[in-house]
Amino acid sequence: MTVGRLLSLKVSVFLSSVPVSVHKQTGRILHVRNGVLYCTMKSSQSQTATQEKQQPPKVKVPQHALKKTVDKITRDYEAIIGIETHVQLSTLTKAFCSCPYNYGSQPNTSICPICMGLPGALPVLNSKVIEFAVKLGLALNCKLSLNSKFDRKQYFYPDLPKGYQISQFDIPIATGGYVDLDLPLEFGGGHRKFGITRVHMEEDAGKLLHSGNGAQVDLNRAGVPLLEIVSEPDMRTGIEAAEYAAELQRVVRYLGISNGNMQEGSLRCDVNVSIRPIGQSEFGTKVEIKNLNSFSSINRAIDFEISRQALLLSEGQGDQIVQETRLWEEGAQKTITMRKKEGLSDYRYFPEPDLPEVILTQEYVDSILKSLPELPEMKRRRYENMGLSMQDVLFLANDMNVAEYFDETLSSGADLKLAANWIMGDIAAYMKNEKLSINEIKLTPKELAELIASIKGGTISGKIGKEILFELLAKGGTVKGLIEEKDLVQIVDPVEIGKIIDKVISENPKQLEQYRGGKTKLQGFFAGQVMKLSKGKANPGLLNKILLEKLNAKN
Amino acid sequence: MAMGSSRALLILSNFKFKPTVSFSSSSSSSKSFPSFIRNNFRTRNFSAETSSSLQPPDLPRLAETARISLAPNEVEEFAPKIRQVVGWFGQLQAVDLDNVEPAIRADTEGDNLREDVPETFENKEALIASVPSYKEPYIKVPKVLNKE
Repeated sequence: MTVGRLLSLKVSVFLSSVPVSVHKQTGRILHVRNGVLYCTMKSSQSQTATQEKQQPPKVKVPQHALKKTVDKITRDYEAIIGIETHVQLSTLTKAFCSCPYNYGSQPNTSICPICMGLPGALPVLNSKVIEFAVKLGLALNCKLSLNSKFDRKQYFYPDLPKGYQISQFDIPIATGGYVDLDLPLEFGGGHRKFGITRVHMEEDAGKLLHSGNGAQVDLNRAGVPLLEIVSEPDMRTGIEAAEYAAELQRVVRYLGISNGNMQEGSLRCDVNVSIRPIGQSEFGTKVEIKNLNSFSSINRAIDFEISRQALLLSEGQGDQIVQETRLWEEGAQKTITMRKKEGLSDYRYFPEPDLPEVILTQEYVDSILKSLPELPEMKRRRYENMGLSMQDVLFLANDMNVAEYFDETLSSGADLKLAANWIMGDIAAYMKNEKLSINEIKLTPKELAELIASIKGGTISGKIGKEILFELLAKGGTVKGLIEEKDLVQIVDPVEIGKIIDKVISENPKQLEQYRGGKTKLQGFFAGQVMKLSKGKANPGLLNKILLEKLNAKN
Repeated sequence: MAMGSSRALLILSNFKFKPTVSFSSSSSSSKSFPSFIRNNFRTRNFSAETSSSLQPPDLPRLAETARISLAPNEVEEFAPKIRQVVGWFGQLQAVDLDNVEPAIRADTEGDNLREDVPETFENKEALIASVPSYKEPYIKVPKVLNKE
């Protein structure tokens, strides 16, 4: 087959015995049986009568070629991705009443007439919500609206006690911002900047659980403050979207306004995906995806949806892509249609009459700006300028507590690279094994700096250092104390080392003879014996130097 | 109706909707913007006087969205009355707003805020008792298929 013919082949794939409309029914695009892909090849050139009568030949294509095929198709399209994120704020009380909020409490125990929407109850705004909203708006480089208002978003649903949600419609508290981030190295790295359209305040609904032929409502969560962040449709791949979400998590944690936990529901992302042929200016049909519970599902769901839409478009079935909401199914690793809604929602927004205008003074905003901690992006740039590799930068700046620990270790005088290596290596491994956060380990940054200095200065050997690290992590204590207590000071006196070597040599005449006879590998044996005798304190470099001299000396 | 219905109708025919603020419709919120606003949208700065009359409200749809059931004869009876009420408010359109700064809200007082201090509501039992269908610890509701 010529290359030209190959390029004009249209690859259509279907289950061996099921008609082409399989996409809609199962959402499954490609069928793999026994690890082998079955797909049919159909020539796009006009078929002869004989060809039409026959079944097109079936070709077995291995799985890596399947990915290549999908990649080839999706390469012709550009994906436009936008994300709506809801951040549950970690205030002590709800947005409009003084009920406390604690994740996991007994249902319907944190309620009052206001959050239950009982007649006559009036909302009163929690001042912390404004503070957190301003913090986030500033951290996302937004323009703040010094005057904004609340609106009612009206719809009926069992978990919405008032029949409306208090939100902000046309005048949100913050608009027009952006996030800077760096993609992880394992995905190619690179710097990205994604726009933020708006940030606004609103309240959460209760929890609705389906059971049997009815449903159950828990209003503990009703009225909990949320910040909704709407991104510009700037993301182009699943990984960019996942990293955007991860950066939002980093920012809200750095700011201390939310624990940003996707699994717990304090960070929720809905993704909008559309694709268009490269070069086309009109946007394609937008599909919303819900039920994403982790960053990796954001990544995988988007990649799946891009492939699904690209395959439909490439087969001339673009009309099968409808504007709808789809659910990501983690088990099946695919998106499926939700029940289709009839028509679009009419929320009949109007200004919330029970709440006054939200007025910010420039002084208030400035004081919050001054109080902001060093944000992830600033930290990453600072670490990069200090000379750390991108890999180190991304690790150390990811968790605010780790970054703080690192910074403290440095300010206690530790060497930059060594501090980074210890934290990213042995200390991180210990934390993972013991399932501890960096705030829970007993080794203080000051002592880590002391440990690094002791090794660097030659007081103790690197090997000993690693050994006492474990004790310091688990039990704390000081480096100096442990060195003294366990008599760990390195022996660097050549005379003393010489004496130990002499002893070992005299105690092992047989090995000495073998060594001098040609078995030079036995040097390791002698070195081990010297180490043992010196309780690990002999300086390895000096040890080997003197040992070699003595072993090779003629008697 | 006693209130000059002919005058209301006159005003209704000149009805121009003038929202006081402008904004860019973002991808997510534009879909929920009521149709009559979408059709007649004008910003404060746009002073061209193209008149477009306000559509009379689709009463059956309005009742549906408000979850109020209306019999067909009630629809017939209420539709003109509602139109008249809207028209009566329409008198506001006659006010010259060219030299008035747009206001976000009608009140003059500023924020009424509270501190982030937890308080437990004392009589939660009464709240629970007022729930029509309660099966400890949940509020029982019928199955609802679609969000509106």
